[in-house]
Amino acid sequence: MSKKLATRALFADALAGRLDRRTVLTRAATLGISAPVAAALAQSSIRTALAGDPEVLEVTSYDWQYANHPGLTEFVARLSETVPTEAEIAPSANFSTDVFLSEAAEQTSTWDLYTGVTPFLEMIQLVESDVIEPWDPYLPEGVLDDLFPPVRAEGTYQDQFYVWPWLLDIIVQGWNAEIVEAAGLDPEAAPATWDEYLANAQQVIDSGAAPFGCTFDFHAWRSLIPITHSISLDVYDPETGLFMWNSDPAVEALEIMKRMMPLANPDVLNPGTTDGGVNQTPDEQAFAARAVAYYIKYQNAHLRFASTWEDPGALRFGALPAPEGGAGGTVFWTTGAVLLKYGENKEQAAQFMHELNQDNAIWQNSITGNMPASPAVGQLPVYQSLWEEYEANRPEWITDWAFAIKDGLGSAQAITPTILSIQQFDLAAPFYTAYLRGETDDARAALTEAMDTVQAAYDDAMA
Amino acid sequence: MAQLTVAQPQHGRSGAERSWLQRVGDWVSRYGVPWVFLLPTMIFFIGWAVYPIVRVAWFSLLDYRPIQADRPVTFIGLQNYVEAFADPLLQVGIIRAATFTALFLPGMIFIPMFLAVLIDRITNARVATFYRLVLLIPAMIPGPLIFLLWKWMYDGYIGPINYALVDVLGIFTIQNQPQWLSNQLVIPGLTIMEWWWGLGYHTMFFLAGLASVPRDLFDASKVDGANEWQMFWTVTFWRLLPVTLVLVVLRFGTAMAVIDEYLIMGGFMRDRPTYTWTVYMWDTAFQGVQDRGYGAAIGWVGTIVMLVVVAVMFWAFRSRD
Repeated sequence: MSKKLATRALFADALAGRLDRRTVLTRAATLGISAPVAAALAQSSIRTALAGDPEVLEVTSYDWQYANHPGLTEFVARLSETVPTEAEIAPSANFSTDVFLSEAAEQTSTWDLYTGVTPFLEMIQLVESDVIEPWDPYLPEGVLDDLFPPVRAEGTYQDQFYVWPWLLDIIVQGWNAEIVEAAGLDPEAAPATWDEYLANAQQVIDSGAAPFGCTFDFHAWRSLIPITHSISLDVYDPETGLFMWNSDPAVEALEIMKRMMPLANPDVLNPGTTDGGVNQTPDEQAFAARAVAYYIKYQNAHLRFASTWEDPGALRFGALPAPEGGAGGTVFWTTGAVLLKYGENKEQAAQFMHELNQDNAIWQNSITGNMPASPAVGQLPVYQSLWEEYEANRPEWITDWAFAIKDGLGSAQAITPTILSIQQFDLAAPFYTAYLRGETDDARAALTEAMDTVQAAYDDAMA
Repeated sequence: MAQLTVAQPQHGRSGAERSWLQRVGDWVSRYGVPWVFLLPTMIFFIGWAVYPIVRVAWFSLLDYRPIQADRPVTFIGLQNYVEAFADPLLQVGIIRAATFTALFLPGMIFIPMFLAVLIDRITNARVATFYRLVLLIPAMIPGPLIFLLWKWMYDGYIGPINYALVDVLGIFTIQNQPQWLSNQLVIPGLTIMEWWWGLGYHTMFFLAGLASVPRDLFDASKVDGANEWQMFWTVTFWRLLPVTLVLVVLRFGTAMAVIDEYLIMGGFMRDRPTYTWTVYMWDTAFQGVQDRGYGAAIGWVGTIVMLVVVAVMFWAFRSRD
């Protein structure tokens, strides 16, 4: 057998998981394959062999979950001592579910569960495409009742529980107390109304404390819809679930955003540079650079980007402002796990999620961070029993803001999921950003065009 | 007079006498054996090139949305194409890609050509090699790192370009500094990035072309009193024309089909200049309800437009020898 053929056979055997690590390394050395390649091949061999082992729980997660929660790796290692578990990063950038879809079409699945699902973005697609199945038969007793009711409702579709939540994010306002104080404002007081918020932002600029007063992320689920929720929560079509883009509260919210524009960093409408423009957005850069005082987004953005300040302790949080007489709501979502229909080890998957949710090492790191290795990200647990325990026997690492943000769940509402997923927001964005840029001067007309476009896409999807 | 006769070679029995089995054997030995040797290449060619093209062409004739498991896959003929040709977003997407291409190509030709001429004039071999190596560095950097680098370059708060414009030169303030990735500037911004990225690679093409230009031509021009500028336009440019034409055709295709840069710098905002036909194709096929049939049709329409332009280029640049 020529060296070329022998090498090819080695790769085929290793990638198919037919060889143990020792054999791979021995054969690779005989063939003169470089050490890094041989090591990678041996690793692949193990992974593939494990994938073929029905006894091993196969978990895949969004890449940011490992970056934001380094304790996940340790958790997997710990769990593996009792439940053999193999975990890896999912090929799912920009909320893509293609890989799961492709495998389900072949009635197979490399993994048993995927922990990177945000219900309003991916849940319906995954259900409708027959990729996932409900958790209900595998749930330990009492888990559903232990979830905060809106969180439980968020992961439920057609009366079945599909997304087991893990990480809670809520849209809040955060501010740089040093800048606010330098502007002559009370650094501990959160603006209660949008008028107050805008007036404070103006004062920041006028005082020269920072070049910009406020900023936001223009993606609708991070700004327009939360601001709309602060006005009214009755903004979803009961039949389609679509956000009612041209409803009165949405128009009012867009007008509030329009008033923010001259107070915000001028690149605020530029898309981000990762995940199809969704992440690494300009608001994050402005807040990190201390060029802006007030900032509306989910709490983990404030925390991550305040970690670059000289004094990250200058970060303050408050509930989203609301207009006089408004609903005072905001948007929350969780990121959680789905059970892949063609995966195996369903009971072990349930055990994984149940124990993951109760792993205090992860929550401690999420709330306090471990600088310089990992900043606090502030994503919070969703089990009521955990919070009751924190209140009864408060751990030293838990912070007041963590309780405050958790309490914000009381007035928060999840975005209703639809089959359009993220495309609903991509389709509407050009219309309302045109208004924010001043290219059109009628907020209602802009949002009516957005609504028409989204509705047409929805009708087409359901045709 | 003696008569010369030539003996005819004997091939065994005549055709009528030979069995069909022998005739098949003859045919195989004459025509079949070459095909056996061609088989590996054919399998590769069909599997690698033809099958995906045919498969995508087939998709474009279907109503196929894998996200909706209950929706049957149905053959709808050319309906996707009828819609695609009338789709204003596709038309705008093609125009946007053409705009980028029109900006990109001239700089992609003339900047490397100019640099190649300068490097070609360097007489010290070590210095010339050093310049060649330095120029090739960007071509060696992986795409994601290039995008990260230029994102930093264009950043309004920590990027060196705006730092120079705002803090050093004082031409702008932080409030009115150029937004390099805004709707207005993102295409020029990406064009500059692409010029930089491909500079060394394209310069090597021209250096190879210059190496084949006889030195006598330059010497003769000098004797005739031509200056550098005249030598460039009368000798160098025309001698580099074949290389230039190859580069134009090659890079036209890649420029029209750019997608990574647009996705990273522009996302899926449909009003952005970066939302070209390639992004629209991806958006349609892999987002929302994942309309793979229509996405494939968009891809084919874009491809057909490109093929037409490339055909015109081949005709315009045809050899006239």
